Amino acid sequence: MPRAKLLPYVVAVVLWAALPGLVSRHVVDLLIFAGLYTIAGLGVSYLLGHCGIVCLAQSMFYGIGAYCVAYFSAQHALPSVVAFAAGALLSAAIAFAVGWPILRLSGHFLALATLALGVIAQVLFLEWDWLTGGTLGIGGLPKLQLFGWELNTPQRFYYLVWPVAVLVMWLKRNLTHSRNGLAMRAMRDAPAAAAVAGVEIHLVKVRMFVLSAILGSLAGSLFAHYVGFISVDSFGIDRSISFLLLAVLGGVQTTWGPALGALFVTLAPELLSRFGEIHAVLFAVTLVIAVIFLPQGLGGAIEQRLRRDSVR
Amino acid sequence: MSRALLSLRDIHHSFRGLHVLKGVALEVPTGAFVGLIGPNGAGKTTLFNIASGFLDPDVGGVFLDGTDLMKCSVQERSRRGLVRTFQTPQVFSAMSVLENLMIGRHKQTRSGIVGNLFRSPRSRREYQTAKQAAMAVLERFNLSPVAEHKAGNLPAGQQRMLELARAYVGEPRLLLLDEPSSGLNNDEIAQLRRVLNELNGEGVTILLVSHDMNLIEAAANIHVLCFGEIIAVGSMATLREDARVREAYLGL
Repeated sequence: MPRAKLLPYVVAVVLWAALPGLVSRHVVDLLIFAGLYTIAGLGVSYLLGHCGIVCLAQSMFYGIGAYCVAYFSAQHALPSVVAFAAGALLSAAIAFAVGWPILRLSGHFLALATLALGVIAQVLFLEWDWLTGGTLGIGGLPKLQLFGWELNTPQRFYYLVWPVAVLVMWLKRNLTHSRNGLAMRAMRDAPAAAAVAGVEIHLVKVRMFVLSAILGSLAGSLFAHYVGFISVDSFGIDRSISFLLLAVLGGVQTTWGPALGALFVTLAPELLSRFGEIHAVLFAVTLVIAVIFLPQGLGGAIEQRLRRDSVR
Repeated sequence: MSRALLSLRDIHHSFRGLHVLKGVALEVPTGAFVGLIGPNGAGKTTLFNIASGFLDPDVGGVFLDGTDLMKCSVQERSRRGLVRTFQTPQVFSAMSVLENLMIGRHKQTRSGIVGNLFRSPRSRREYQTAKQAAMAVLERFNLSPVAEHKAGNLPAGQQRMLELARAYVGEPRLLLLDEPSSGLNNDEIAQLRRVLNELNGEGVTILLVSHDMNLIEAAANIHVLCFGEIIAVGSMATLREDARVREAYLGL
């Protein structure tokens, strides 16, 4: 890569690395949430943008990832890798078992089915208080240890969560430019023709649903380690909607759009809160404006702009 | 005469009591160029849907090279070499022309999602070979100038060509073409006819449904489907003389 092209990336990395030292602890906290949401939202974004599936069940997998940390790492004092793996496996198994029948549906019906899944999960998280602590939640979750380094400050966690998010974006980019990535976009555009080309539509959808669930669980496990306390309030339908929202807002066709979307949904309410009570309304208005004027999302709009500039 | 590549045997099908196909039997010999004509509502597209696996017939059998296809999915039939096109062109509209053609190689490649995620050597190699195969056919179907265009933005004629090219990239044994000339102008129809003759010359067996007399003439043998039954078989010249065909279809 020529040096001039490399420069923006170097600047971005330096800025990213310096950021925790420049902003308040509270903002670092928000940036970490943006990173976590990026990871979970990337799954939702891929399902929507490449498979045409509206997924409102991501809060369930986010919750499973988090509760696995509570159960395995806190209650049974097992290494955190066990909790991460258990969350991912459990999420994958559930996504497969439920995805197999419901992914025969499409469009609104499928969206409603995933919504139902999210609602059921929320109720179970609440009712199974012997496991989840119900509304009281579970506290005292251990901090994450990485090569003997305890991630016990927001700054340290920030340096973990964003590289993970970037890694996931890299994986998404690889998939887009691959055999199955092409197949997914094909079946979204013209399912009958994709079937004639040999694309096993149902199987691909189920696999992507499983993959998205694993990302949700990964984000949930990281979340639990970071906050140290989890309760059912974190895994409601509103969280699923945030994940879908950031995907749409960021632009489902771009690799790094979900990161922009995640930064928006975490930082914008904060920035608007200085306007007092009306901030929720302002946030809603901002969303409406963004959706009307940026139908391709923030990421899509920026990519279009860059492409136009490079053509000139 | 060589043996049948596609054999449709005694196909019956009804939609809500309406008997659309009444015991249709049709054979397409290996390497042949066979036509299928008939008035609107004769059951041509239903027959295509049954042959390609989109629809299960009430009664009857579909055989490819002697193998029973009734238990095979659309995808499985495609892997065995039976590829169809659609009456309204089905291109992957948000994807580039080149990407559309690369999908044509899907069934020749094997890499899985995990390999794709981590850019396994096989994943990269397959993507490159699919790309090369796609580039190699661009010229032949007059698609080179629009290789990077979004398929959905192409005019109808080029979408037809793209659909045909996509089928061809996958190295089909049998092409089922459903009204490939609708929406095309005379020059494009002439080009389509030339391409179909070339493909047939290379050994691709073709079953063509068309209303277009200029195009259907390219088929050596033509079946006439009328109200769910094959009423005549022969060359265009013989069919013109057939009283039943004249009455039912040609309206001469």
